[in-house]
Amino acid sequence: MPASTPLTLAAGWVALGFIALLGIAVLWYIFTERIDLTFLISEPNGDASMSRFQLLIFTFVIAASLFLIIASPSPPRFPDQIPQGVLILLGISSSSYLVSKGIQFSRDEGVIGGTPEVKILPATAQTTAGGHPIQFKADVLRLPDTAVTWHVRSGGGSIDANGHYTPPESAAGGPPPPGTVVIEAVSQADPTVSDLATITLV
Amino acid sequence: MIQLREAAAYFVLFFVAAMACAIAIKLLTGGINMQGLLYGRTARGKLYFSPERVQLLLFTLWTAISYLADAGQNRRSGKLPEIPEATLAMLAGSHMIYLGGKAMAMIRMKNYKGGN
Repeated sequence: MPASTPLTLAAGWVALGFIALLGIAVLWYIFTERIDLTFLISEPNGDASMSRFQLLIFTFVIAASLFLIIASPSPPRFPDQIPQGVLILLGISSSSYLVSKGIQFSRDEGVIGGTPEVKILPATAQTTAGGHPIQFKADVLRLPDTAVTWHVRSGGGSIDANGHYTPPESAAGGPPPPGTVVIEAVSQADPTVSDLATITLV
Repeated sequence: MIQLREAAAYFVLFFVAAMACAIAIKLLTGGINMQGLLYGRTARGKLYFSPERVQLLLFTLWTAISYLADAGQNRRSGKLPEIPEATLAMLAGSHMIYLGGKAMAMIRMKNYKGGN
């Protein structure tokens, strides 16, 4: 292999640094939930999908095995050839996913099935009067419009249109007694569909 | 001094492992929706327990764990481990059962709707 020039090496380090930053940003966004993975393996109707799940598993297993094999020798080295069995495995996994989607999307019922649902996350939380606010989010399943209206159903405090709950202020003579606050998210597409979450004021 | 090739290989390995850990934690703690993973839907839209999904899950986990263990044992060989033909045949059969079950459910749904 020809020796790398300093310019080639510098370009390589810059490219690696850039890609590493992108990778770390993706991990950070997943960790802070700015990349929402809630429906990573879900169908449009909200049910978890076995075909997506197996494709996810095999993708990670083959990717992790490949980079383990690459990184283990010193210096790291790409394998001379990928075994035929691995390619067949990935072919089975991917084609099964595609055929499964084909079967499912052949009928409207395969996509729509189930009843509409609103799900608040987190379902329970804890704060103090005058304490830190809490950000809730509502996932709307099996409805075309995912917008919801937020209410404080019982207890104190307020919640804005984005699900940002602010606890009640402390009373002048000290904090109010502990209690439970119930908030509600109601689907704007179907007001009969809603979910509740509870906040404990300690 | 660490070489560029080593740094790239270690970073990608770290990234894949970190992504796998993040997804595994979310799967185990409910951060990723798993409702209905082992259930199909009847013509009336009701959920039913689906053995074909269970067997696919078991075959998937068994194949994945045994392959990862194999790769871990042979990591210094510089070659990805081969998958035995019998394993591939069983996995293909498992997928056929799953897809067959799914197709049957869809046909039953079509007949039910057609009859109403």
